[in-house]
Amino acid sequence: MSGAADAQAPLEAVLKDEILRMYQEVADQPGGTFHFYHGREAAELFAYEAEWLDRAPAGAVASFAGVGNPHQRSHLQPGETVLDLGSGAGLDAIIASWQVGPTGRVIGVDLNPSMCAKAQAHVAIAGMQMECREGSMENLPLPDGSVDVVISNGVINLSFQKRRVVQELFRVLRPGGRMSITDIVSAKQLSQSIVNDPKLWAS
Amino acid sequence: MFRLLEESGFSRVRSAVVPRFRFRKGATQDAAEAYGVKAVMVTALKPKDAGPRTS
Repeated sequence: MSGAADAQAPLEAVLKDEILRMYQEVADQPGGTFHFYHGREAAELFAYEAEWLDRAPAGAVASFAGVGNPHQRSHLQPGETVLDLGSGAGLDAIIASWQVGPTGRVIGVDLNPSMCAKAQAHVAIAGMQMECREGSMENLPLPDGSVDVVISNGVINLSFQKRRVVQELFRVLRPGGRMSITDIVSAKQLSQSIVNDPKLWAS
Repeated sequence: MFRLLEESGFSRVRSAVVPRFRFRKGATQDAAEAYGVKAVMVTALKPKDAGPRTS
Protein backbone atom coordinates (compact mmCIF):
# COMPACT_ATOMS: atom_id res chain seq x y z
CA MET A 1 0.00 0.00 0.00
CA SER A 2 1.26 3.50 -0.81
CA GLY A 3 1.85 6.18 1.81
CA ALA A 4 -1.23 8.07 0.70
CA ALA A 5 -3.33 4.94 0.85
CA ASP A 6 -1.92 4.17 4.29
CA ALA A 7 -2.96 7.62 5.47
CA GLN A 8 -6.44 7.23 3.99
CA ALA A 9 -7.14 3.80 5.44
CA PRO A 10 -8.13 4.95 8.96
CA LEU A 11 -10.46 7.58 7.51
CA GLU A 12 -12.06 4.98 5.26
CA ALA A 13 -12.63 2.73 8.25
CA VAL A 14 -14.30 5.54 10.19
CA LEU A 15 -16.37 6.41 7.13
CA LYS A 16 -17.50 2.83 6.70
CA ASP A 17 -18.66 2.75 10.32
CA GLU A 18 -20.53 6.05 9.91
CA ILE A 19 -22.27 4.88 6.74
CA LEU A 20 -23.35 1.67 8.46
CA ARG A 21 -24.59 3.65 11.46
CA MET A 22 -26.48 6.30 9.49
CA TYR A 23 -28.33 3.98 7.15
CA GLN A 24 -29.07 1.55 9.96
CA GLU A 25 -30.63 4.52 11.79
CA VAL A 26 -32.79 5.34 8.76
CA ALA A 27 -33.95 1.73 8.71
CA ASP A 28 -34.52 1.45 12.45
CA GLN A 29 -35.97 4.93 13.06
CA PRO A 30 -37.60 6.04 9.81
CA GLY A 31 -39.48 8.74 11.69
CA GLY A 32 -36.21 10.54 12.44
CA THR A 33 -34.86 13.65 10.74
CA PHE A 34 -31.79 13.40 8.56
CA HIS A 35 -29.78 15.66 6.24
CA PHE A 36 -31.57 14.06 3.31
CA TYR A 37 -35.21 13.37 2.49
CA HIS A 38 -36.19 9.76 3.00
CA GLY A 39 -39.18 7.49 3.07
CA ARG A 40 -42.30 8.05 1.01
CA GLU A 41 -41.66 11.79 0.93
CA ALA A 42 -38.38 11.21 -0.93
CA ALA A 43 -39.80 8.54 -3.21
CA GLU A 44 -42.66 10.81 -4.25
CA LEU A 45 -40.20 13.66 -4.78
CA PHE A 46 -38.37 11.44 -7.28
CA ALA A 47 -41.56 10.38 -9.09
CA TYR A 48 -41.79 6.79 -7.89
CA GLU A 49 -45.15 5.54 -9.05
CA ALA A 50 -47.82 5.78 -6.35
CA GLU A 51 -48.94 2.26 -7.20
CA TRP A 52 -45.48 0.94 -6.33
CA LEU A 53 -45.43 2.79 -3.01
CA ASP A 54 -48.92 1.63 -2.08
CA ARG A 55 -48.12 -1.97 -2.97
CA ALA A 56 -44.67 -2.26 -1.34
CA PRO A 57 -44.30 -3.16 2.35
CA ALA A 58 -44.57 -0.04 4.52
CA GLY A 59 -41.20 -0.68 6.15
CA ALA A 60 -39.39 -0.71 2.82
CA VAL A 61 -41.02 2.57 1.80
CA ALA A 62 -40.44 4.26 5.17
CA SER A 63 -36.73 3.44 5.11
CA PHE A 64 -36.11 4.44 1.50
CA ALA A 65 -33.05 6.68 1.29
CA GLY A 66 -32.33 7.23 -2.40
CA VAL A 67 -31.39 10.36 -4.33
CA GLY A 68 -33.41 9.73 -7.48
CA ASN A 69 -35.31 7.09 -9.42
CA PRO A 70 -33.12 4.57 -11.26
CA HIS A 71 -36.22 2.76 -12.55
CA GLN A 72 -37.09 5.61 -14.90
CA ARG A 73 -34.41 4.47 -17.33
CA SER A 74 -33.63 0.89 -16.34
CA HIS A 75 -36.11 -0.66 -18.83
CA LEU A 76 -36.03 -3.96 -16.94
CA GLN A 77 -37.43 -6.93 -18.83
CA PRO A 78 -38.91 -10.22 -17.60
CA GLY A 79 -36.22 -12.81 -17.01
CA GLU A 80 -33.33 -10.40 -16.50
CA THR A 81 -30.82 -10.67 -13.67
CA VAL A 82 -30.47 -7.39 -11.77
CA LEU A 83 -27.87 -6.26 -9.28
CA ASP A 84 -29.14 -3.65 -6.81
CA LEU A 85 -25.92 -2.11 -5.53
CA GLY A 86 -26.44 -0.95 -1.95
CA SER A 87 -29.88 -2.47 -1.61
CA GLY A 88 -30.68 -0.94 1.79
CA ALA A 89 -34.18 -1.69 3.06
CA GLY A 90 -35.13 -3.18 -0.30
CA LEU A 91 -37.61 -0.83 -2.01
CA ASP A 92 -35.68 -0.66 -5.29
CA ALA A 93 -35.11 -4.43 -5.22
CA ILE A 94 -38.84 -5.01 -4.76
CA ILE A 95 -39.70 -2.76 -7.70
CA ALA A 96 -37.05 -4.51 -9.79
CA SER A 97 -38.39 -7.93 -8.81
CA TRP A 98 -41.86 -6.95 -10.02
CA GLN A 99 -40.40 -5.93 -13.36
CA VAL A 100 -38.19 -8.98 -14.00
CA GLY A 101 -40.89 -11.34 -12.71
CA PRO A 102 -40.57 -14.93 -11.55
CA THR A 103 -38.18 -15.87 -14.36
CA GLY A 104 -35.83 -13.04 -13.43
CA ARG A 105 -33.51 -12.63 -10.51
CA VAL A 106 -32.66 -9.71 -8.20
CA ILE A 107 -29.41 -9.77 -6.27
CA GLY A 108 -28.78 -7.13 -3.64
CA VAL A 109 -25.38 -6.26 -2.26
CA ASP A 110 -25.07 -4.31 0.96
CA LEU A 111 -22.26 -3.60 3.36
CA ASN A 112 -24.54 -4.21 6.32
CA PRO A 113 -25.73 -7.80 6.93
CA SER A 114 -28.68 -6.65 9.01
CA MET A 115 -29.83 -4.45 6.11
CA CYS A 116 -29.59 -7.49 3.85
CA ALA A 117 -31.83 -9.39 6.26
CA LYS A 118 -34.27 -6.48 6.39
CA ALA A 119 -34.39 -6.16 2.61
CA GLN A 120 -34.98 -9.86 2.14
CA ALA A 121 -37.78 -9.76 4.72
CA HIS A 122 -39.43 -6.85 2.91
CA VAL A 123 -39.10 -8.58 -0.46
CA ALA A 124 -40.65 -11.72 1.02
CA ILE A 125 -43.58 -9.71 2.40
CA ALA A 126 -44.04 -8.38 -1.12
CA GLY A 127 -44.31 -11.99 -2.29
CA MET A 128 -41.14 -11.84 -4.33
CA GLN A 129 -37.64 -13.22 -4.05
CA MET A 130 -34.28 -11.53 -3.70
CA GLU A 131 -30.87 -12.81 -2.79
CA CYS A 132 -28.89 -10.29 -0.74
CA ARG A 133 -25.15 -10.68 -0.33
CA GLU A 134 -23.12 -8.89 2.29
CA GLY A 135 -20.19 -7.24 0.60
CA SER A 136 -18.48 -4.06 -0.45
CA MET A 137 -18.99 -2.26 -3.73
CA GLU A 138 -15.22 -2.22 -4.23
CA ASN A 139 -15.11 -6.04 -4.19
CA LEU A 140 -18.46 -7.27 -5.39
CA PRO A 141 -19.29 -10.83 -4.32
CA LEU A 142 -20.41 -11.77 -7.84
CA PRO A 143 -18.82 -13.64 -10.74
CA ASP A 144 -17.69 -11.96 -13.95
CA GLY A 145 -20.44 -11.26 -16.48
CA SER A 146 -23.19 -12.52 -14.22
CA VAL A 147 -25.79 -9.72 -14.35
CA ASP A 148 -27.81 -8.07 -17.11
CA VAL A 149 -28.51 -4.78 -15.37
CA VAL A 150 -27.08 -2.81 -12.46
CA ILE A 151 -29.28 -0.38 -10.59
CA SER A 152 -28.10 1.75 -7.69
CA ASN A 153 -29.42 4.74 -5.81
CA GLY A 154 -27.14 7.14 -3.96
CA VAL A 155 -24.43 4.64 -3.14
CA ILE A 156 -21.30 5.05 -5.30
CA ASN A 157 -20.67 8.56 -3.97
CA LEU A 158 -20.05 7.04 -0.56
CA SER A 159 -16.92 5.22 -1.76
CA PHE A 160 -13.39 6.58 -1.56
CA GLN A 161 -12.52 4.28 -4.49
CA LYS A 162 -15.04 5.22 -7.16
CA ARG A 163 -12.86 4.07 -10.05
CA ARG A 164 -12.59 0.66 -8.43
CA VAL A 165 -16.37 0.53 -7.98
CA VAL A 166 -17.00 1.37 -11.63
CA GLN A 167 -14.51 -1.30 -12.70
CA GLU A 168 -16.34 -3.82 -10.55
CA LEU A 169 -19.66 -2.91 -12.15
CA PHE A 170 -18.09 -3.40 -15.57
CA ARG A 171 -16.70 -6.76 -14.48
CA VAL A 172 -19.98 -8.21 -13.18
CA LEU A 173 -22.08 -7.01 -16.12
CA ARG A 174 -22.39 -9.36 -19.07
CA PRO A 175 -21.26 -7.98 -22.43
CA GLY A 176 -24.21 -5.96 -23.71
CA GLY A 177 -25.42 -5.37 -20.15
CA ARG A 178 -26.38 -1.95 -18.87
CA MET A 179 -26.55 0.19 -15.78
CA SER A 180 -29.09 2.73 -14.59
CA ILE A 181 -28.05 4.56 -11.47
CA THR A 182 -28.80 7.73 -9.60
CA ASP A 183 -26.11 9.29 -7.49
CA ILE A 184 -24.57 12.45 -6.11
CA VAL A 185 -21.80 14.25 -7.94
CA SER A 186 -19.86 17.40 -7.15
CA ALA A 187 -18.65 19.98 -9.67
CA LYS A 188 -15.87 21.10 -7.35
CA GLN A 189 -13.35 19.23 -5.26
CA LEU A 190 -14.80 18.94 -1.76
CA SER A 191 -12.81 20.65 0.97
CA GLN A 192 -10.64 18.51 3.21
CA SER A 193 -12.86 19.47 6.15
CA ILE A 194 -15.82 17.80 4.42
CA VAL A 195 -13.79 14.79 3.29
CA ASN A 196 -12.51 14.35 6.83
CA ASP A 197 -15.99 14.56 8.36
CA PRO A 198 -17.60 11.13 8.13
CA LYS A 199 -21.04 12.50 9.02
CA LEU A 200 -21.00 14.95 6.11
CA TRP A 201 -19.49 12.39 3.71
CA ALA A 202 -22.05 9.76 4.66
CA SER A 203 -24.95 12.18 4.17
CA MET B 1 -18.56 9.82 -12.83
CA PHE B 2 -19.08 10.32 -16.57
CA ARG B 3 -15.33 10.17 -17.24
CA LEU B 4 -14.80 7.22 -14.91
CA LEU B 5 -17.43 5.22 -16.75
CA GLU B 6 -15.97 5.93 -20.18
CA GLU B 7 -12.42 5.22 -19.02
CA SER B 8 -13.59 1.91 -17.56
CA GLY B 9 -14.96 0.78 -20.91
CA PHE B 10 -18.63 1.72 -20.75
CA SER B 11 -20.24 3.15 -23.87
CA ARG B 12 -23.31 5.29 -24.51
CA VAL B 13 -22.86 7.02 -21.18
CA ARG B 14 -25.73 9.43 -20.63
CA SER B 15 -26.57 11.61 -17.66
CA ALA B 16 -29.33 13.95 -16.58
CA VAL B 17 -29.84 15.99 -13.45
CA VAL B 18 -32.43 14.71 -10.98
CA PRO B 19 -34.60 17.81 -11.00
CA ARG B 20 -36.08 17.80 -7.52
CA PHE B 21 -33.18 16.55 -5.48
CA ARG B 22 -32.20 18.68 -2.51
CA PHE B 23 -31.00 18.18 1.03
CA ARG B 24 -33.55 18.60 3.79
CA LYS B 25 -31.42 20.83 6.00
CA GLY B 26 -30.84 24.34 4.71
CA ALA B 27 -27.23 24.54 5.83
CA THR B 28 -26.41 21.28 4.07
CA GLN B 29 -28.21 22.41 0.93
CA ASP B 30 -26.32 25.75 0.97
CA ALA B 31 -22.99 23.94 1.29
CA ALA B 32 -23.99 21.52 -1.45
CA GLU B 33 -24.85 24.37 -3.82
CA ALA B 34 -21.52 26.06 -3.09
CA TYR B 35 -19.74 22.92 -4.26
CA GLY B 36 -22.00 22.29 -7.22
CA VAL B 37 -23.35 19.11 -5.63
CA LYS B 38 -26.28 17.61 -7.50
CA ALA B 39 -28.01 14.30 -8.03
CA VAL B 40 -27.73 12.76 -11.47
CA MET B 41 -29.28 9.85 -13.29
CA VAL B 42 -26.68 7.96 -15.29
CA THR B 43 -27.11 5.18 -17.83
CA ALA B 44 -24.35 3.28 -19.62
CA LEU B 45 -23.79 0.12 -21.62
CA LYS B 46 -21.10 -2.50 -21.47
CA PRO B 47 -20.21 -3.08 -25.13
CA LYS B 48 -21.20 -6.47 -26.52
CA ASP B 49 -17.64 -7.13 -27.63
CA ALA B 50 -16.15 -6.26 -24.22
CA GLY B 51 -14.30 -8.87 -22.25
CA PRO B 52 -15.42 -9.47 -18.69
CA ARG B 53 -12.43 -7.90 -16.97
CA THR B 54 -10.81 -4.48 -16.97
CA SER B 55 -8.71 -4.84 -13.86
